[in-house]
Amino acid sequence: MELTDREIWAVIHGLILGTLFLLAFTGGLVGLWSLQARYVTVAGLKERIPRLGIWTGTMAVVAWLTVFTGTWIVYPWYRADPTKLGIPTDVQSEALKDFPRYWLLASERTAQWHEFGMEWKEHVAWLAPFLATAVAFVVAYYGVRIIRKPEWRWPLIVLFSLAFIAAAVAGLFGAFITKAAPVA
Amino acid sequence: MTAQIDNPQLHEIVVSDKPSGPAAAAFVAAGIGSLFVGIGVVLNEYSAQIKSLIGIDFNAFLKFDANFGLGNGVGPLSGKVIVAVLAFVISWAILHLMWRKREINIQKAFITTLVLVAIGFALTFPPIFTLLLP
Repeated sequence: MELTDREIWAVIHGLILGTLFLLAFTGGLVGLWSLQARYVTVAGLKERIPRLGIWTGTMAVVAWLTVFTGTWIVYPWYRADPTKLGIPTDVQSEALKDFPRYWLLASERTAQWHEFGMEWKEHVAWLAPFLATAVAFVVAYYGVRIIRKPEWRWPLIVLFSLAFIAAAVAGLFGAFITKAAPVA
Repeated sequence: MTAQIDNPQLHEIVVSDKPSGPAAAAFVAAGIGSLFVGIGVVLNEYSAQIKSLIGIDFNAFLKFDANFGLGNGVGPLSGKVIVAVLAFVISWAILHLMWRKREINIQKAFITTLVLVAIGFALTFPPIFTLLLP
């Protein structure tokens, strides 16, 4: 039983950071959803705001780590050019399997995984850290004051959820593409 | 602006209020960053047409990995996302400085952000950004 360096990074990028992202989103969403004045006491508010800050802050940090590892570590392996080694790119050969982008494009049956899936995934994922960071900043900067601004609750929930949706699109296509043509 | 809250207990919390400007700045900056991701995609996809029109090769420019040594083998994606991150950070810093002591209507900032994110999101969607490709 062993994992290559590429497999380890793919696991860190997709599975470990992806799981942390999902956990942080769940915690943050529950915290924002229940952040209503009629549900909380002073003691309860002082206890839950720091925890909300931890969830939203974790989601923002994990979002940045995920897009950076994806873009600068895993993606270059995905798009490596086999023609430099003289490997033909028009047939899904064994040699081409180490070059996922070209392997997918070599057949009409799999080309859409790159042309639609990867093309969307590699870009839309980058919306997640921007949105998650904005929400985390507001929670950290305003702290317990947020309870006095009930009109902020829905904007925070929506932007936080949009960050999740962007990451979910990327994560879903990442899983499908890895199934079709693993970076290994 | 501070809304009236319906839990008298919470009136016990004594903290100085902070203006809404910094929150609005963070929201809108996230929208601007998202928009720039989409713009980067379009500029790269249509680089051949743009080059023939105005002579600028965005595909070559966006290869920040090769041009500036920022990574190896990332290609134009490196430039698209670095430009978007810079747009996010710089716009946030500017808006924060402009609005840090001001009350900004958070609903308007939120709607603006949604519009920017929607455009950015749409421009990353392959059936949309390939719509006019020959």
